[in-house]
Amino acid sequence: MREIDAALILEITLRTLAVCLPALGAALLIGLPLGIALGRRRFRGRGAVVSLVNAGMGAPPVVVGLAGALLLWRSGPLGALGLMYTPGAMVLTQIVIALPFVVGITLAAVGALDEDWEMQVRTLGIPARWRLWLLLREIRLGLLAAVIAALGGILSEVGAVMMVGGNLEGETRVLTTAIMMFTQMGEFEVALGLAAVLVGLTLLLAGLLTAVQQGGRA
Amino acid sequence: MSADVALSCRDLRVVRPTSGFTLAVETLDLHRGEVLAILGPNGAGKSTLLRSLAGLEEDADAVTRSGAGAVTMVFQRPAAFSGSVSHNVRAALLGRELSRPEVDARVRESLERFEIAALADRNAAALSGGELRRLALARAFVLRPGALLLDEPFDDLDAAGQASLSLDLRRAIEETGVAVAMVTHDLRRALLLADRVAVLLEGRLVQADRRDTVLDHPVSPEVARIVGMSNLIPGRMAREGASRWIRVDDAHRVPTDVETPDGAEVWAGIRPEDLKLDVGRGEGEPIGKGRVRSVVNDGVAVTVAVEWAGIEMRTVLLAGRGLARSISAGDLVSLSVRHDRVHAMPRGDGVRQASGA
Repeated sequence: MREIDAALILEITLRTLAVCLPALGAALLIGLPLGIALGRRRFRGRGAVVSLVNAGMGAPPVVVGLAGALLLWRSGPLGALGLMYTPGAMVLTQIVIALPFVVGITLAAVGALDEDWEMQVRTLGIPARWRLWLLLREIRLGLLAAVIAALGGILSEVGAVMMVGGNLEGETRVLTTAIMMFTQMGEFEVALGLAAVLVGLTLLLAGLLTAVQQGGRA
Repeated sequence: MSADVALSCRDLRVVRPTSGFTLAVETLDLHRGEVLAILGPNGAGKSTLLRSLAGLEEDADAVTRSGAGAVTMVFQRPAAFSGSVSHNVRAALLGRELSRPEVDARVRESLERFEIAALADRNAAALSGGELRRLALARAFVLRPGALLLDEPFDDLDAAGQASLSLDLRRAIEETGVAVAMVTHDLRRALLLADRVAVLLEGRLVQADRRDTVLDHPVSPEVARIVGMSNLIPGRMAREGASRWIRVDDAHRVPTDVETPDGAEVWAGIRPEDLKLDVGRGEGEPIGKGRVRSVVNDGVAVTVAVEWAGIEMRTVLLAGRGLARSISAGDLVSLSVRHDRVHAMPRGDGVRQASGA
């Protein structure tokens, strides 16, 4: 039985963060404005878009991975980008997985604001960028929930990153794919060590965000 | 636009295609340091008018503002931002070119003006309804607005809260010279502050004038009911020697000094406080006897309903004084009214557009 290699675990953990955090950042960057716009504006077809977002929160990641693989495969529409089996491909699929959580929870938080809230801010003559700042401050607890949900989703995700990343040693191996591989190899100690790190990481990030969330409520 | 006009509205028209409602206001001006109360029944368009003045309706281009001061609005249910009371007031100054000490001074001044300085660090979510209203007003006044629009500012406040807030608000208006338009469906609340009164009916401004003018000389029975002139008596103008009367039937008439041609059909309007029970004190001219139908005592005032000439008339007495202590349903009482307190309005006249404010 292989001994736990601390350097290996550290390397895989850092790569996991290097894939998940940019994906989360990009999902927030795209999802926040979308969620705010969907929460504030009423337009024809809004219901269908919101249904799509809600369905996206329950979409199986492995299907997202399959779609990503079909797109990024050498002969696929985006094959020329040469992203297949790279961390870039993993980041892209994780953005797609995280995006519905960010959009859905943000639009729910914005929608829960009092109807008069926006008009009250407008009548105070507050400039647009400060109005946005006030809005983000107002929905910050919802935003943190979106971050927790999105991060939890992509940190624990295995199917999609396996399909587009390939679990290549030293390149695309992350905690979830490594755990699966070592388990299949019967290397349970390493798998357990990696699993402990993954659970610890999830708990640490969720705990930090929850602390911020609870602090924000005070 | 005259120098003392802070907000002016010309040919405002807001159409709601789904409900068929149309708000059409030809002329409305808000003067500095003055409170205009906009009265009307539910659905008359009061809030739509206020929102138009605030620039929240698409047709707000019919509204022009003078240079000095912003136009801001306090809603019927003020929305508090999450955070402290102080943060809420400070937020109104976001993005303005003010130094930190200036912001601090203005926030402190505004909190003190509405007597919530002691609550500065309290979470706004923990405020009572009255405190939240004070917060909303402090947040509006910190902007040093030229015009302030208030939607039902005394809603959900008890009588003591209304009186206290109206005093603070009146002082703030006098100190800052802000022009105020206030929407309310409650006459008593309007009269706590109003210098002028405008009456909206079915989306049209039917009368706008000095407060006492509207209260004593409503242009129509509809306006009369809204401004509390609840005794409306159908009659015909008549003259006897130098005296003028509104004759109700062969046995009943009320004196008046209104110059309307003899024989004209009119509504005689008498405010409840002008209709007197007990003729012994030389107040007005006797108009006959009536039977008391009901007596309602709210501890401050006693409202007495009296049947006279087949019409239910209402009068108000101060609770705990004189007749108010002994009167009861079924009593036969003498009624009197001063001729200069009887208003006459033409009968069969529809709602008319006010010529200006």
